[in-house]
Amino acid sequence: MNTITAYQCENCGQVMYPAHLRCLNCNEREFKEISPSGEAKLLTYTVVNELPWGIDERGRILGIVEFEDGVKAMGLIRSEKLKIGMKLDSGWEVVRVIGGERVYGLSFQG
Amino acid sequence: MRPVVVSGVGMIPFERRDEDSLVDMLAMAGLKAMDDAGAGDRPVGAVYVGNMASGLFNHQVSVASALVDRLNLFPAAADRIENGPASGGSAIKNGFLAVASGFYDAVLVVGGEKMREVIGPKATDIVACMTHPQAEYIYGVTLPAMAGMFTHLYMEKYGVTRKHLAHVSIKNQDNGLLNPYAHIQMKITMEGILTHPQAHINNPVVAEPLHLYDCCPVSDGAAAVLLTSLEMANELKRPDVQIVGIGQATDTHTLQERADPTDLKAVTIASQQAFGMAGIQPEDIHVAELHDAFTILEIAESEHAGFFPKGQGAKAVARGETRIGGKLPINPSGGLKARGHPVGATGVAQIVELVWQLRGEAGERQVKDAVNGFSLNFGGFGNNVLAFVLRREA
Repeated sequence: MNTITAYQCENCGQVMYPAHLRCLNCNEREFKEISPSGEAKLLTYTVVNELPWGIDERGRILGIVEFEDGVKAMGLIRSEKLKIGMKLDSGWEVVRVIGGERVYGLSFQG
Repeated sequence: MRPVVVSGVGMIPFERRDEDSLVDMLAMAGLKAMDDAGAGDRPVGAVYVGNMASGLFNHQVSVASALVDRLNLFPAAADRIENGPASGGSAIKNGFLAVASGFYDAVLVVGGEKMREVIGPKATDIVACMTHPQAEYIYGVTLPAMAGMFTHLYMEKYGVTRKHLAHVSIKNQDNGLLNPYAHIQMKITMEGILTHPQAHINNPVVAEPLHLYDCCPVSDGAAAVLLTSLEMANELKRPDVQIVGIGQATDTHTLQERADPTDLKAVTIASQQAFGMAGIQPEDIHVAELHDAFTILEIAESEHAGFFPKGQGAKAVARGETRIGGKLPINPSGGLKARGHPVGATGVAQIVELVWQLRGEAGERQVKDAVNGFSLNFGGFGNNVLAFVLRREA
């Protein structure tokens, strides 16, 4: 399935997202691409009522999750009952339209 | 390095200023700082403008050159310095380095932003441009949303409650009532924003768990300082307040890549650098201006800067220790919460307030016998932070 591309350092194994040209842990420059998917743990979240220009809605839920392979990422949360630590299933959907272009990103269902 | 004196300070009231352009505001504040120093027709070596986004907010760039033109400061060097919400702090730091190195004897530093030229959701979008374009911005994240996610973690880890946050906003709006330059001049109460069953009507959710009164307003404004060598300051008879400590540190762009997102490492490192350079400890500070864009940040910064142990900052504000007259007055100006936060102006406005406090010119909000002052300017969501120590010389 479609998802983000994260990176694992070939030297020390550090997992990173988004991309860096030097490893955040050891400064090495070779990385293996990884595609996190499946179950993820909710680390924190917020319900946003005042959204930026171009997003015509209220109450969008945003969160940061940790996938089983250690990748941490932000995404839309599609769940009514929210609790830090809960398990969510990851998905991929249009998260914003910017300049008429549909932009895809992570979403999570609980 | 040679000593650097803040010889002149000036600012214009922060508010919605429909009549003035950004350059008008920068010029008014700059002129006030030069007049405060009694600089007259003395040349200024350089003009540094702290500004985040004049291109996006006002459709104008090269505003430092425009400011020199407006003030007839030719042929002064002119640069606009951008570091998000810490643009003002970065401009001050660069002005300090330029004078401390001996390259210039006088540098005019002006911070300013005109945000109300665009409607609220546009301003929110422009400010959100500082987030990571692919990993954050596309989701519609805002700075209040970043702060909301941070607040949930801080509440869970340290037992901070919405009542603790409300204590910060009530204190800072009380202080703002004593500051004629503050944007929000309004008394608020615990009942009105939190405990009354209808309080949510006054104080709706912006980004859970943060409500309206946890967030700074969107403001227009400018503030300025004239930094000079000690020699020139003595000639101007304005040698009283020096910048004696500066720190600046960075952290990861995204919140999620920090091993512990509640740990504001850049605040800790920048503060330690500033205290180390000044040769003093946090307990030697008499007045502090912290970057309370959100109430949680005043609490978290007061801990990470070393004024309180982790988890104790919320209790200190609830006990009144950070009020004017308390053990360590924080944000006597009203902070970003009440003074307002025209992004590029804030770091400079913090220094202006400290100079007024250290000179004894702060009027009704004067902190008694203040000798050492501290300010913290928080860029991004803690990914680029500046700290300053100012001292009144005997």
